[in-house]
Amino acid sequence: MRIENWLYTLPLRLRSLVSRNRWDADLDEELRDHIDRQFEENLARGMDREEARLTALRMFGNLVALREQTHDTWAWTPLEHIWQNFRYAVRSARRAPLLSAIAILALALGIGLNTGVFTMLNAMFLTAPTLVNPASFVQLCPRYSGWFTGADQNSAFTTEDFDAIRNHSQTLEDVAAQQQNSALLEQGNKNIPILLASCNYFHVLGIDRPLMGRFFASGECQRGTGTQVAVLSEPLWKHQFDGDPAIIGKTIHLNGVPLAVIGIAPSDAANYLLGGIFVPYTLEPQLNHANDLLASPDTPWLSITGRLRTGSTRDDARAELTAIMNQQDRAYVEREISAFNRTTSLTITNGSFIENPNLRNLVLGLMVLMLGPLALILLLACSNVATLFLSRTLARRGEIAIRLALGVSRSRLAGMLLMESLLTVCIGGTLSMLLAYRVPLLIMDTMAAGKATFVVLIRPEWRVLGYLAILMAAATVLSSLMPIRAAFKLDLLTALKGREGAATVRSRTTSGLIVTQIALGFVLVCAAVIFGRIPGLIKGVDPGFEVHHTLAVPLAVNTSGNNRAKAQIFYSALEAKLLATPGVQSVAYASLHPFNQSPPDEIRLPSQTKGTGQPASVDDVSTSFFSLFDIRLMRGRVFLPSDVSSTGASPLAVVSQAFARQFWPAGDPLGKTIVMPDDRHLTVVGVVADTRSERFGVLDGPRLYTLRGPYDLTGNLYVGFLGSAKPLETAVRDAVKSLDPTQIIAPQTIWESLESQAESIAALSHIILVMASVALLMAVAGVYGVLSFAVNQRTREFGIKMVLGASRATIFRSVLLQAIQDIAIGLMCGVALAEPAMLLFNRLLAKSPLPLRKFDLTVFATSALLLAVVSMIAMYLPAIRAMRTDPMRVLRTD
Amino acid sequence: MSKPSDLVQGTLDLLILKILALQSLHGWALSQRLKQVSGDVLQVSDGSLYPALHKLEQQGWIKAEWKPTENNRRAKFYSLTRLGHRHLEKEAANWERLSSAISVVMRLTEV
Repeated sequence: MRIENWLYTLPLRLRSLVSRNRWDADLDEELRDHIDRQFEENLARGMDREEARLTALRMFGNLVALREQTHDTWAWTPLEHIWQNFRYAVRSARRAPLLSAIAILALALGIGLNTGVFTMLNAMFLTAPTLVNPASFVQLCPRYSGWFTGADQNSAFTTEDFDAIRNHSQTLEDVAAQQQNSALLEQGNKNIPILLASCNYFHVLGIDRPLMGRFFASGECQRGTGTQVAVLSEPLWKHQFDGDPAIIGKTIHLNGVPLAVIGIAPSDAANYLLGGIFVPYTLEPQLNHANDLLASPDTPWLSITGRLRTGSTRDDARAELTAIMNQQDRAYVEREISAFNRTTSLTITNGSFIENPNLRNLVLGLMVLMLGPLALILLLACSNVATLFLSRTLARRGEIAIRLALGVSRSRLAGMLLMESLLTVCIGGTLSMLLAYRVPLLIMDTMAAGKATFVVLIRPEWRVLGYLAILMAAATVLSSLMPIRAAFKLDLLTALKGREGAATVRSRTTSGLIVTQIALGFVLVCAAVIFGRIPGLIKGVDPGFEVHHTLAVPLAVNTSGNNRAKAQIFYSALEAKLLATPGVQSVAYASLHPFNQSPPDEIRLPSQTKGTGQPASVDDVSTSFFSLFDIRLMRGRVFLPSDVSSTGASPLAVVSQAFARQFWPAGDPLGKTIVMPDDRHLTVVGVVADTRSERFGVLDGPRLYTLRGPYDLTGNLYVGFLGSAKPLETAVRDAVKSLDPTQIIAPQTIWESLESQAESIAALSHIILVMASVALLMAVAGVYGVLSFAVNQRTREFGIKMVLGASRATIFRSVLLQAIQDIAIGLMCGVALAEPAMLLFNRLLAKSPLPLRKFDLTVFATSALLLAVVSMIAMYLPAIRAMRTDPMRVLRTD
Repeated sequence: MSKPSDLVQGTLDLLILKILALQSLHGWALSQRLKQVSGDVLQVSDGSLYPALHKLEQQGWIKAEWKPTENNRRAKFYSLTRLGHRHLEKEAANWERLSSAISVVMRLTEV
């Protein structure tokens, strides 16, 4: 019945919508006809003309009202209202072009930044990488319990697991494996990302057409053959090889391994394409000297993606693959390959980061951290626009009062004001699209300075459009709330009397606006201060040991089983060769990397039982370590060459001051005994100064140094030298290469690696700085806008005060004091907002060496000062204007 | 003169449909007919007819057509649609049920 009804009336409704004027004319004619006929009837009854006319009209009723009522029954009336509101909004926007332009610009900036970053995050984190039939693309995420550490862990697959899945799965028609890694290209000194992949990797990802050349042939991933070929990603090809058109067939070297380039992978064929150079995963043993993961029976290293067979669902795949993996679990136990007894459970995802249980929390945290500040920028833009609209609404209060007096309903009034916001937001939103697609590219460019090795494909998508719609709706509502409230609170009488000066906006409203803007601005400026400070902090750090003349030599030597003797010879030859190099002072080994946090061990006193000891980091060092790193000796002695016993582990230990304080708060540490986790008893022979080697600028916790055994092959090699670093780096590299041509290394001083870390963070902080500048600008413009608006509102009040004897200085002070109070409250609210954000940020960065404190007073104070100074400047002009009020002119207008 | 209450409005709709079911009429003729049948029960101005008529038209129950009348004039004639007939039948049946139920109740209280 309802549908039939609609079918029947739809043409009617459409007609009425199209030819509205004719309908109005028809209605008029119809009503006039009725009255005419009644008039004639009355005449026929013997009334005179005048009486007949009046009676006819009286019998008919209120003509105007009834015509309106009839008009309202027409279906398109609501649409007509919207259309009227829209035309009104356009007219009022055109009447104040500057104001509208500012509002539109602020919103375009706010919405554009948000959408831009969301577009990027969406492509990177929220969508499956593939563009071809994403519904069938799957990634397998295993979770093991009872493996290695015993705790549940998300991890990767072993080579055997991959084989089992590839050979037995019926629900997947294609299974690919890959591992992200890094390697040195040619003689470069920086690792570039590579992707070890099975030969069907591109096919599974839905990329079948290379930009140039070809992709891997299936035979190239044959175990044991290890065909030495490589595919380059388009961006890497462009910036590392200058887009060489004759690259196919040329030979490149990764970690010294020669590889023939066979193809270029286009960057626009997938949502994101990892990896700079793609090589067959079977080359892993050649690229990675120390570790043959491919042949290792129980090292998980591969992540697996695949395509569902037509007709299979993810649930089918999960059931089947779990069964296969459980079979693997049992096989592991039966063959006694691993000491650990694992149980596997599987999650099947669409390949996006957000669905990966291993990454979900990190991704969510990152998204909150990136979108949160941007949302604040949008809020700032909204409050700016709200101020502008508020002033417009109040300037038009006479007009609004007349509308209300004529009987317009409040809902229609609200609709009118809402439409004005909507119009502005829509124009701003449309403009923001221009920005939205530029922002991700700008960010990627800044981050990687034209050297991004992977590219995120940016394209419009329903999630992005949905996000844009939500932002625009929120912006509309937020920016129109305050004007609507002001219009509703309008005092009709004063407004109609035209006593413009008497009507003022509550000072609470203006204060609220200032507080909001300062608080939001504060949070963003804090972020900028934090990040702006980091590069300087990293470079300015005094770690308590030598960084400029300590060269880290990253070696990858296979020390397992049969290779042990060979490795032994290599190391002693290398040491001799290095010591013979001019400029080299000493070589040393240490097991801990500087600025890398490693889990502490449990150290006990002899009187303590297992489990009651205290955590301390243990660094296994060679005798020359302390002199090379220039760590000050406080008491006793450091290790001597004579301490190295050829029989085995040394029973001596050197401790840091923090360690001594922790274990023997009052007593003398020298000569005391401690117990290692493996029950070795060590005697303390010396105390050395604390260093700041874990986090930048933060003193390390308790640290224990043990002496490296003479036949140990573990630890990182460091070279101490005099003179400049560059020639020595080349000399060390050549020395290593001459002993083992497959070792292509990039030695760096600790200082150089610090600098490169600072550089990469500087790129990030540039982006944040730009965003914070936008925020600061908006906050300041907002404070200025609100304050000059408030001053304009209060001109009359100032005039009266002056007439009553207030000096100009008093007026100036009162305006300024009020604003300063608002700013102070705003700053406090800002701290309340920033603190939880910093806590979250801290949690995410807990493992990085960045020095972030929970409540960073310096950051807060700097940001507060910056904001206060800038907003003072913004306040100055309106306050001056208030001071210059001419009482005569103001009072005369009344 | 003022907007008829909901009850009256409902009754008015029904009356209009009933009258138009018999013959198609223009607005004024309809108002005359309405007065004739309902006497003084329906205390509404002539003009209130038009919002009701237009609403019924929007609902698809009646349709309007301009037709020539005497003296070279024209008027908008309303007639019932197929949907309108069906609606009227249903409403009439409802009305029957309601009024008989009420009369039963009334008789009960008299006993």
